[in-house]
Amino acid sequence: MMQPVSEVRTWVVVPAFREGSAIRQTLADLLPRFPNVLVVDDGSDDDTASQALAAGATVIRHPLNLGQGAAIQTGITFALAQGAETVATFDADGQHHADDLVRMRDELLRSGCDVVIGSRFLGHADGLSPARRLILKLAIVFTNLTTGVRMSDAHNGLRIMTADAARRINICQDRMAHASELVSQIGKLGLSSREMPVTITYSPYSLGKGQKLTNSFRILADLVSGWLLR
Amino acid sequence: MTIQIFLTSMLGLVGVLVGAQQTTSRLVRVSILAVLAFGMFLVWAPETTNRLAGALGVGRGADLILYLWVVITLALILFLYLKILRLARRITQLTRALALTQPMRPEGPGHRP
Repeated sequence: MMQPVSEVRTWVVVPAFREGSAIRQTLADLLPRFPNVLVVDDGSDDDTASQALAAGATVIRHPLNLGQGAAIQTGITFALAQGAETVATFDADGQHHADDLVRMRDELLRSGCDVVIGSRFLGHADGLSPARRLILKLAIVFTNLTTGVRMSDAHNGLRIMTADAARRINICQDRMAHASELVSQIGKLGLSSREMPVTITYSPYSLGKGQKLTNSFRILADLVSGWLLR
Repeated sequence: MTIQIFLTSMLGLVGVLVGAQQTTSRLVRVSILAVLAFGMFLVWAPETTNRLAGALGVGRGADLILYLWVVITLALILFLYLKILRLARRITQLTRALALTQPMRPEGPGHRP
């Protein structure tokens, strides 16, 4: 017997580092549709945690800044302990839209997939510069080559997965390489996934916080180190 | 003669330190001690390196030592790097475990802007 979609317990994990000025806006969009929101404050030195708490989210604080990948894994662990049936990730800077996540959850439950990932290249990427588009496309080529999973957008922070998938996925890449790692694990664990078009709204704020070209080399180095450690 | 005494005492000091390490495995300790002993032997019989170098197709004994040194140093750097990565993973696990013990809940339902 399938549960009605609205009764499925979804926890939304929002990794946040120094997002004190944006987190309230993001949560104002998210909380009316998803009552269970966990903000993982990744050792921010600003008021991210208190802002998130005041906005109505549950908050966990890393005493040290570890990176987005580590924050997401902490959030997933917490969500599962709370009895989440589906776990989503959502960026703190306001580039995602809660309505997209609602559609993605419906798709996850309807399709019986393990993971649904948002794709800005199937949907819209408002305010995306040509240089950034090129970096993202290169990242996609790299991820497709190394993971064997075909994706149109490998580095989208908007995802939703079943509790079972969340339990099997284990993110070891603390920093930004977790996005590639996640796709790679989807391939290795044999999880079924599909992409859905989503709209990413780039603001000067989110672009300022976003990844730059030099970071791609760091991601590459992190991935190689991860392979060495295994 | 002076340099031989200096090098021998330095190698001997390292040997004592390595020998006293209870945490490293016996195999590693014995291997390091063997390398140190061979080093001491070469300090007092430097022509041996020239013969070894000739046999291996390297010009001079000093060059052979230099090449070996580079390889060993690179291997050590890689080893230490992996050790640091493993340490970072443990720090992550520790930080996560600590963070999970102190979730902060919003002040009841309906508390929304």
